[in-house]
This record gives sequence, structure tokens and C-alpha cells, in this order.
Amino acid sequence: MSAGPGTAGAAGASTPQDVDDLRELHRELRDVARDMLRKTAGRTGDDEAPVPVDWSLLAGSGWLGLEVPEELDGAGATFAEVAVVLHEIGRAAASSGYLGSAVLGVGALRLLEPGAGRDELLAAVAAGEQRLAVALPAGDDVTIPFHVRPATPGDAPGAGGGARVDGTAGFVLDAAEADQLLLVALDPTGVPVVVRVRPDDPGVTVTGQPVVDETRSLGAVTVDGAVVDAGSVWQFGTDPQESVRRLLDRAALAVACDCLGLAEAMLEATVDYAGTRRQFGRPIGSFQAVKHACADMFVRISVGRELLAAGVAAVASDDPQAGVAVSRAKSYVCVAAVDVAGRAMQLHGGIGYTWEGGVHVYLKRALLGRALFGAPAAHRARLAARFAEPADDPLTE
Amino acid sequence: MNTSTEDLAEFRAEVRRWCREHVPADWRRAQTVAGDAEFVAFQQAWFQELRTGGYAVPHWPAEWGGGMPAAQQVVLYQELAAHDAPRLVLGFVSIHHAASTLLAAGTDEQRARHLPAILDGEIWVQGFSEPEAGSDLAGLRTTARREGDGFVVDGQKLWASGAAHADWCLLLARTDPAAPKRRGISYFLMDMRSPGLDVRPVRNAAGESHFCEIFLNGVVIPAENLVGPVNQGWQVAQATLSAERGMTMLELAERLGNAGFRWLVEACRGPAPGGGRLVDDPRVQDRLAELETEIAGLRALCLGLVERHEAGTAGPADASVVKLYYSELLQRTMDFAVEVAGLPAHTELRKPASSGWESGAWVLDFIGSWEWTIPGGTSEIQRTIIGERGLGLPREPVVPA
Repeated sequence: MSAGPGTAGAAGASTPQDVDDLRELHRELRDVARDMLRKTAGRTGDDEAPVPVDWSLLAGSGWLGLEVPEELDGAGATFAEVAVVLHEIGRAAASSGYLGSAVLGVGALRLLEPGAGRDELLAAVAAGEQRLAVALPAGDDVTIPFHVRPATPGDAPGAGGGARVDGTAGFVLDAAEADQLLLVALDPTGVPVVVRVRPDDPGVTVTGQPVVDETRSLGAVTVDGAVVDAGSVWQFGTDPQESVRRLLDRAALAVACDCLGLAEAMLEATVDYAGTRRQFGRPIGSFQAVKHACADMFVRISVGRELLAAGVAAVASDDPQAGVAVSRAKSYVCVAAVDVAGRAMQLHGGIGYTWEGGVHVYLKRALLGRALFGAPAAHRARLAARFAEPADDPLTE
Repeated sequence: MNTSTEDLAEFRAEVRRWCREHVPADWRRAQTVAGDAEFVAFQQAWFQELRTGGYAVPHWPAEWGGGMPAAQQVVLYQELAAHDAPRLVLGFVSIHHAASTLLAAGTDEQRARHLPAILDGEIWVQGFSEPEAGSDLAGLRTTARREGDGFVVDGQKLWASGAAHADWCLLLARTDPAAPKRRGISYFLMDMRSPGLDVRPVRNAAGESHFCEIFLNGVVIPAENLVGPVNQGWQVAQATLSAERGMTMLELAERLGNAGFRWLVEACRGPAPGGGRLVDDPRVQDRLAELETEIAGLRALCLGLVERHEAGTAGPADASVVKLYYSELLQRTMDFAVEVAGLPAHTELRKPASSGWESGAWVLDFIGSWEWTIPGGTSEIQRTIIGERGLGLPREPVVPA
């Protein structure tokens, strides 16, 4: 693989030398990603819709298997490296199936009990041979959307006879392009499991859900009595409820990475424009009203970057308390991204409001990102639950 | 430098022990009614207490009695805040601005003369702003005229915080009236006991009088008290103070998070006037979570700045980002505290001296937050610095004076 980060993960960085190596590694990964995405992202087809980044490029880059273990032909890296790619994809507002397959798909599979079926799929995803989508709650309601029951009434859960699946999930990222779907479901005893189905299985329907943000592909997944073999019902490796929560945290944080990237791109575009566009005989960026608005964008991004870094470090190291850092990052960064993209539109003036100008692409993507995997208010409600009673030691976090 | 998780936990335990044994009990009540002399005596005693513990100047270089890694400083400031230790209000300029100026630009003699003296309680004041030179600081008019072995200073300084108690002053004065305004300023160390010097307190919006005017009439400063070359004072001030701005914030951010915000949450856990608790009100919860998130961001921003400063990789506007963000976040947090505290908060007529910017006398704290958004470069000036130095936006056309 050409841009692989090797084996170092953020969790393994303990000495200053490790930290420096990791920083250098991330810089390389970032530069390669930025260069590649600049060449390929942002193109539109005849229908003026964005053209997705060519899948073979993603497969060739090695990014699809960043978190896949080395023995399965992945890079054995961590979410810290995935976050670098997500950030660059956001900067380019790129249309790609990376999030569905390499971030959520691989993330879900890695939370499962190891097994031949799982490992085979991980290797296929890393190679780009199979594309995944994960049907999990995408909004503020985190009710698990699918249910599993024995295919033959009276059978024990997980018995040899296979299972029957029902349920529906909306706003599933990259569902329409997926070769396989991972459904987050409850078994008959109420324990979360993951069920693997294919879009063309009988009883499985995947319908595209067009949204205002054309850079994202979303779909509704409806499963109506689909029968799967017992080998396609997978158990989580550790506490199932906790595993689902971690998967949702990963999804929320992934979107926050994307939002920080797009906010940075909008600030840079605005600063460039304000430095060259002249009115009243001078660059508009020399006026305080414009300059100070850019300064505010810079401050929001600086704060967001810190909160995001804390979230990424927590998720990459499997910190059991990661939810706090994730909710902080998701709520702050996604609000900031909408604010920054909105200000970018304002400061670009008339051209900012045109289709041709392109700022709208970022604003729409930021707006969808803010709503995906928990709106800011939902994440703040989660944070506020900690305030109800005094903590044992509020200083140790 | 031991900053592993285990070492930090051990250090935290040590600081906690120290705080339990040394933070004076009930100092707030005494300091709420304290007169000027009591305030000064209390501050000096507390400074020596911290010094004995090794906690007075952790940010100084090791050879001068500091050398504490940034990660340990964070722990120290967290624990001091959580144990509601008094703040070093009186010595703030001494241990931060004066020390950093001497360390970065002072001579060996100046360092040897003043750094140990600061540890012994020498108090400093900053003499920068003037009635006609606020945001346009470089337009300052106080002059220092070369005469024999020294300089003779005439003019007026304003907003000199703590000048009434100060032994020494960091003074900017014009030494070349003909030069462009930033090229004709020199930086001096001025003895506040010099003849020709008059200090008058100015009452601020919160009702306190720690701000002062300093009148200078033929004050003589020996040439050895010049910092840096003649006419390079603006450059010295720029170089030493922007970095320092970040270091002071490390403490203030931890105060805001571990004292101010915690008290606010505790207040919200109490019974609300109409029954129930505010902390169970979703509107209050939402605001609390938002503020806590922002404070977490501030704390990370401050630590990041200190680390980048130590590594020599800090950006030209990083310190302005931190100053601006802290000032406005403090203001937002105090505003919300006033709102949730309701009418009873308005009966707190005095805030305790020696307390932080968030003393719990929320109305006065909120009023006092403008002491952050105005001095030290207003929020507007910080935004201009961020725009021009951080983002490279074009400067405003200079209007000839």
C-alpha cells in the first residue's frame, strides 16, 4: 500500500519519540490524502451531481483497511489515522463510501467476536472487494432498529436453523452502494447483535434517500422477515450494549472529523477571497467587519480542533469514558462548522450564494453532519446527565 | 521530567495534601471585609506559603526556582482551584509579566537584582496604557529624555493595576519623538519610590480601586534600568508579552473549570425558587453542557499553547486566540451564573479580595469580566491580530496621525 501508516497506533504512543513519529506519520498521510482528493473530489457529472471518488483509488491507497489487523492484510492502525483521512475527505467535501465501509463497517466488525466469517469480511473490506454499510440509529433516537427471531418458531436463539429479521432503518450511510449490510439488531432476549444481509436477499429492500446535501449517499433499509443462516448472526465480543454505544460514538466522532475539515476549507477559501476581492478601493479583508468575522471562524476552529483531538485520542485508545469527549467534540465542532460555512457564504457575498460558487456544497454538508448521529442538543443532554449528582472526583478526567 | 499518568497521580496527591494543610480556612470571609493593608499582608503571606511549598513560580526556569513541566502545572492549578486557594492577585504582574520580560530581554544584572527580589515579595505594575494611548498603544506620549547617565521621564500612565502597592514598574516611554511611533519607544524598569512620581487610584465599574493613574514629572531612571536597546521597547514588549499571555491562561482556565463552573453546577443542584432543581431543567442543562464543553476546549487550548511555546512552534496569533476566547467565555459563563442565581445574587455587594475572576459574587464577577475583554488588548484588537498575523489578511490602511 502506498500511503499506509505502518503499524504505529495512537494508543501505542508513549514516549516523546513515539509521539513525534506518529505526528510525522499523520502529516504524511494527510499530505497524500489531500493531494489525491484535490485531484479527484469535487467533480460533477452530467446531472451536476457530485461524482464519488473512484473506489479503486480508495482501495489502492490502503485507507480502507487502516484499522484492519495486519494478519488480515490491513494496516493495523487505529482510529487516530482514520480520523486524518476523514478530516481530509471533509476538507474536500468529497463524495465517497469511506465512512460507511472503512469507518462504520470495519468499526462494527472489530467489535464482534472474532470468527472466520468476520475475519474474511474484514480482509475483503480492506482490499476494497466488498463494500459495507451499517444500519444503526442515525438520529437522536437511538432505539435499535432491527429484531431477530428464530427462523423456525420455538428454536433457541442462535440455533442451527437460522434467523428471521425484521425492522427498518433510515439514513443509512452508503447503503445503496454496499455489497453487504450489517444490521444492528436485538435478539429475542433483547441483547444487541449484528446481522449480515445482502441487499438482494429476499425480504431486504434498500431505497435511496435523496437529501439536500448531494455529497452524501443515504438509504433506507427495510427488512421484512428476511431469513439468514445462523452464521450471519454475530455476537459482540464484549458487553453488547456498551459495544453499540461505542459504535454510535465512533459514528458521531467520524462526522465531527469531517465537519472540522470542511470548516477549515471554508475558512481558507474565505481568507483567500477576502484578500483579493476589492471594494471601496481596498481588499475587503482589510475591513474590520470582515477581518473580525474571519478571526471568529479561526477561534471556533481552534477550539473545535482541541475538542476533536481529545475525542479521537479517547476512541483510538478504547477509553471507557470516551463518550464525554465524543459528545463534546460532536456538539461543538458540528455547530461551529455550520456557523463557519454560513459565514463563508456571507463573506463571499453574491458569489457565495450562487450554485457555481460552491460554498453551498459545504454548508449543506455541514448541516447534514450536524444532524447525523445525534444533534448537538442530544449530545449536550448526554453531557448534562453527569451534572445531576456530585461526581466522586470531578478533577480526574 | 516525569509526567506519566502514575507520576501525575502521585504529584496530584502531594498537591492535595499540601492544599489541605496550607489553604487558610475561611479566608474568604476575612478578605471580603479586608482593608487595603490586610489584603496586601495576606497576599504576601500566601505567596511565601506557596513559595515554601515550591508552587509560587512553577512556570519559571528551573535555575530561578521553577522548571515544573506543563502537565504538572495543570494539575497544580486544578488542585489550587478545587481547594479554593486564594489567587496571587498582587504578585500576578511580578511573577508573570515582569519575570518573563527580565528572562527574555533583561541583562544578567537585572535578572539577579529582581528575580530573587520578586520571590521575596517585590511587587510590580505595568505602565503601558495612557489616556490617549489605549488600543493604539504605540501612540503613547510619555517621554524619556536622555540626560547624563539616565533618562528623565514625563507623562501620565493609566489603568496601572495595583500601582498603589507596587515597588517597581514596567514602563514604556518615547525616546525618539521624531521616529515612526513603533520605532521610538524604549522599555524601562522604574523604581516606584522615585521622586516626581504620583499615584492616584481610579474606581472601576465593580467599585474597586486597584486601577491607578501614575503621574510622572521629571522622574529619573538610571540607564542600567533600560531593557533591550534604546528605541526597541515596542519590539521587546511584543516579544515578551504575547508568549506570557498564554502562560497566565493555564491557571485561569483551570480556575474557570474547577472553581467557577463547579460552583455554578453546585448552585444549580440546590432547590430552585419555584420548587425542584435548576439542574433538572433541560434549558439549564443545555447551557451547562455547552459551557462545560467550551471550558474543556479552553483548557486544551491553553495546554496546547504552553506546549507549543516550549517547543518553539507557537503560531503568531495563538496567544491572542487564547486571550480572546478566555475573556469572552468568562463573560458568557458569568452572565449565565447571574441569570440562574436570580435576585439573591444582587445582594452580594462585595467580592472577596484575593479571589478569582469567578468569586461566586456573580453580579460583580460578571461586571468584572470586562476587565478581561478591555485591558491587555481589547477583544477587537485581538481579533485584528488574529486576522492579520494569524490569517494573513491585509492590514487596514494607516491613517497619518
